[in-house]
Amino acid sequence: MLINILETAFNLIFTLNENLIEIISLSLKVTLSALIISVSISIPFGAFLVFYKNKLQSFIVLVSNTLMGMPPVVLGLIIYTLVSKKGIFGFLDILYTPSAMILAQTLLISPIVISLTYEEIFKKNKQYSLLLNSLNLSNFSKLKTLIYESRYALLTVTLTGFGRASAEVGAVMIVGGNINHFTRVMTTAIAHETSKGSIELAVALGFILLLISFIITLLIKSLRKIS
Amino acid sequence: MNILPLKINNLNYSINGNKILRNIDISCNEKNITIIAGNNGSGKSTLLKILHGLIKIPKNTIKWGNFSISKIKKNQSMVFQEPILLNRTTYENLTYVSRKKNINDKSYVDKIIKRLNIKDISNINTKYISGGERQKVAIAMSIIGNPKIIFFDEPTSQLDPSYKNEIENIISNLSNSETKIFMTSHDISQIKRIGKEIIFLDQGEIIYHNTVEKFFSEKHCDLIKNYINYG
Repeated sequence: MLINILETAFNLIFTLNENLIEIISLSLKVTLSALIISVSISIPFGAFLVFYKNKLQSFIVLVSNTLMGMPPVVLGLIIYTLVSKKGIFGFLDILYTPSAMILAQTLLISPIVISLTYEEIFKKNKQYSLLLNSLNLSNFSKLKTLIYESRYALLTVTLTGFGRASAEVGAVMIVGGNINHFTRVMTTAIAHETSKGSIELAVALGFILLLISFIITLLIKSLRKIS
Repeated sequence: MNILPLKINNLNYSINGNKILRNIDISCNEKNITIIAGNNGSGKSTLLKILHGLIKIPKNTIKWGNFSISKIKKNQSMVFQEPILLNRTTYENLTYVSRKKNINDKSYVDKIIKRLNIKDISNINTKYISGGERQKVAIAMSIIGNPKIIFFDEPTSQLDPSYKNEIENIISNLSNSETKIFMTSHDISQIKRIGKEIIFLDQGEIIYHNTVEKFFSEKHCDLIKNYINYG
């Protein structure tokens, strides 16, 4: 039986099954969009926090560290209440759309990106602050230099964010609704197909997710070596 | 821009209640090499960092000519005991500093490389060069833009005699070309070789300030005597 399931799953992958490709491309679209939004805001923000040491900064770092471990279903629930018809952002009308899923994943990975960026830039600032202060640079100029000097580590942070977002199921299930051909992504499809007993597609998607995870791990390892 | 005389009026500096520098009064008029000497923890590096503006102190405590530290900061640079270099090639490190000092002429960096004789390592990441070479790159970075004052914080303390000699020559040449040098050092023979003026600190206080020549010819208290004998 297991061999039959694997055979069908691989058959789906190698024949580029239309349904499978649709789910994978939506997953990548949602995750990459969330990643781009999150990284372009969270990396500069995390780095910026290093330069402004006050109580607010400490509080933001604390909150960000706490939110790193936030259960995705809780985040999904919060976003659901905010964007549902009766919620304060109900007018946006994004519930059960890919936009809501992108929002959920963005909010899920942003604390991770902010905290890891802060730690990395903090370390680099300690290493280079005498030189940068000696050159009499503005904070903006220092920030640019530190981000550039941390480029490999920040790529690792980005990949970590991608890994977290692509493997997430709870939040996107709640705010996306797992609607076929519209908001069904790899993780929600796996849960759905398994629950209805159609395990082949779930296994095929599982392999793809594992492959993505493997590639990310490999990339992170290589980047760590370079940095 | 006339950066001399340097005048320090009653400089005091504490960290968490610990007095690092006490009642420092200095007047420096000569464009030569001033050595700041003293035992570990005497406040040498702190004084250097304050003079370079890396540690903030009350306004008007220090005057370079008629200028405050912040006004003169662009005309200063510093070489640290442990060279701080970016994770880039030697050439890129130098280009980085020259860009930050608004020097966009590429041949300028080439001239600096030639002057410091570091062409062999110009395309190597500074992670992979020796301690002496790293210190030479740090000095090359510090002379970009022809600063009027350069601070050296024990620049040769971790180097072998050959690099020590090379770096001492570079520092002497800089001083001869009208750059005011402040340098901390523990090395008595080095102080003798290149120093012209010496400020001796003990527990944050100046206990001696005169020419190096007089420092080695005069009679001193036990502390300085031991420093000279065992330094």
